[in-house]
Amino acid sequence: MCVGISARVVSINEDTAVIDVSGAKRKISAALIEDLEPGDYVMVHAGIAIAKITESDASETDHIMEAL
Amino acid sequence: MDKIVTLAHGAGGKQTSELINRIFKAHFSNPDLTADDAAVLPVEAGNIAFTTDGFIVSPYEFPGGNIGKLSICGTVNDLSCMGAKPLYLSCAFVIEEGFPMEKLEQIAVSMEKTAKEAGVRIVAGDTKVAGKGQVDNIFITTTGIGHIMEGVNTSGKLAQPGDAVIVTGDIGRHGCTILLSRDEFGIDAEITSDCAPLWGITEKMFETTKEIHVIRDATRGGVGTVLYEIAEQSNVGIRLDTEKIPVAGEVSGVCGMLGLEPLYLACEGRLVVFVPKEIAPAVIEALHGSPYSKNAAIIGEVISDMPGKVVMKTAIGSQTLLPQPGGELLPRIC
Amino acid sequence: MENRKVSPKEIIESYNGRHLRIMEVCGTHTHEIFRLGIRKIVPESIELISGPGCPVCVTPVGYIDEAVMLSLDIGAVICTFGDLIRVPGTEMSLAVARSKGAVIKTVYSPIDAVEYAQENPDKKVVFLAVGFETTAPAACLAIKKAKEAGLTNFTILGANKTMPNAYLALKDSADAFLYPGHVNAIAGTAVCEQLVKEGVSGVVTGFTASELLTALAVVIQLTKKGKPFLVNCYPRVVKPEGNVPAQKLMNEVMEPCDAEWRGLGIIKGSGLKLRTAYSDFDARLRFNLPVITGKSNPECCCGNVLQGKCRPSDCKLFGTGCTPQHPVGACMVSNEGSCSAYYQYGGNFNG
Repeated sequence: MCVGISARVVSINEDTAVIDVSGAKRKISAALIEDLEPGDYVMVHAGIAIAKITESDASETDHIMEAL
Repeated sequence: MDKIVTLAHGAGGKQTSELINRIFKAHFSNPDLTADDAAVLPVEAGNIAFTTDGFIVSPYEFPGGNIGKLSICGTVNDLSCMGAKPLYLSCAFVIEEGFPMEKLEQIAVSMEKTAKEAGVRIVAGDTKVAGKGQVDNIFITTTGIGHIMEGVNTSGKLAQPGDAVIVTGDIGRHGCTILLSRDEFGIDAEITSDCAPLWGITEKMFETTKEIHVIRDATRGGVGTVLYEIAEQSNVGIRLDTEKIPVAGEVSGVCGMLGLEPLYLACEGRLVVFVPKEIAPAVIEALHGSPYSKNAAIIGEVISDMPGKVVMKTAIGSQTLLPQPGGELLPRIC
Repeated sequence: MENRKVSPKEIIESYNGRHLRIMEVCGTHTHEIFRLGIRKIVPESIELISGPGCPVCVTPVGYIDEAVMLSLDIGAVICTFGDLIRVPGTEMSLAVARSKGAVIKTVYSPIDAVEYAQENPDKKVVFLAVGFETTAPAACLAIKKAKEAGLTNFTILGANKTMPNAYLALKDSADAFLYPGHVNAIAGTAVCEQLVKEGVSGVVTGFTASELLTALAVVIQLTKKGKPFLVNCYPRVVKPEGNVPAQKLMNEVMEPCDAEWRGLGIIKGSGLKLRTAYSDFDARLRFNLPVITGKSNPECCCGNVLQGKCRPSDCKLFGTGCTPQHPVGACMVSNEGSCSAYYQYGGNFNG
């Protein structure tokens, strides 16, 4: 039950946000993320957003392999 | 007519007759449903298929259906899996004292609508009323008879290496719908149960070919459970291509959030079909013509190694075992 | 002519160097590595070891006994993550307690437990707070919410832990670590950078197929260079400073303490307990729980499995007396446990 999942932010209301994972929506806590905007992607774990996601895993891999 | 079902309605007297006439006979009307102790039906030459199923789904109403619709589909689909045209059904109700009459009527209406669509007649029934708390809302048991088509022989023991594995639509919808209807996890998604009567698409498949080795409806335990059952019964291995398995985005999203595997979520309107791989594309085309199977897909093949096991081709092109089914994820799913 | 870049997968498959031990310390990594078939493509000279990455698994048996006591003797409603429910305690699991009348609710988030407590003021609600740095902030948020709402019926049974001292305890168990990306997402990478100075190598690892393969490829390439290293292979989620608001929150609500890890014994400073200002939310204090030392089955090898000292399949009970349906130890029943991963995926290749 502790899995982390990447989700798109649909709306924000104070320190909660509604996120969407392929059409499934849930209210979560956004209290720990600053400057969140609808359309941002976040990593969600146990009902809270723990980090903003800044790029796809494909481009991330490219950057890392290049730097190697 | 009373607004709620009472113990008197189950006592066998005047109120019982009233209930039967106003709710059941009014909607299930057909010449074979008489006031006699049993229906009298002609027997055709050949073999009949005979099956029964109990339904205790909670909640009894959910997006895409209700316990009534489910009770017809479940039995119709079990018959269809044997290649048997569903003919007659009986239904036995156990209703909790205080159950709303309006809801009971809606359930009866659903049942008749579904039965009509499946071409099946409800010819016998029984009604009992139990005291408050002795049953949860309403339980239904349906029993069905069908006539097996000539030249057709399906069984869980007949899967062979070289068979393609087909699933007739996207998976895990019913389980997901029930999970969300119980409102335990606060997730919102537009998912409806896939509950549907499948004789129509089964007939279409048999029109394409009689050489179908296995048909099984995926219910509790989902497609994954069916695959393991067949792998064991036929003593074969099954290799799945995970990318080809149809899963609705929302179902995928819910599973991702909760750490669930869609292959193990219940379906109530999906068949798993094993046919020789050469004929599979024609079967898929036939299935695509029907609304209940428009997402039908070939998801894997039967192999001779690793008998009894189901393996999957993974996202990195490697292979892994599909974990075997564990305990039921959701109680009272159907 | 453009040089075709070698892919992470090719780097892994073509490795033919010395024996390399790579330890992952995250239950999700354990399971994903199996589920993606990564173990099948890794050459024999690379040993993938599963460490104590499952927070449920490293929680001592006595914790379940405390939860059972709270539910049966004190009549508290237990709110918990799903995979704690079937973990065996000394006498019984929470699932068995439930069959004896205990009220056990599965929650997706500790915040759901606070909401339940708000809606049911007549019930004593206890949230089972297990988890590493990824999950502890959620428990802290829940407590803050409870405090703000003035709730007097909500407490937590704490068992949160932190990873850094565990890495130190394990540093001789592997040549390099795959660090649990979401722990770093909260805590940042400073701890891992410090570990490099102590000669411990590792890469911060994500969870997708591509991220896992990249992490392994980076370990392979950098191990060849012979110097301790740290690379953040999950930069799209993990920033060097981590999640500062989360760190502040954890620091406000909880403080380090010594903690017992099943199999590893007591690791100093590796636990988190509520600070005095929040002690009203501590179930142990609220309900005066006695100190409970649980007893596990002497044949259970969870302790050694968690240190990577033996494989799940080396345990005598594996697959016979201990299966996911009838577990003896936590490692077999938790969704993140090594034994459950090995059992479910039929795995015994590459360690």
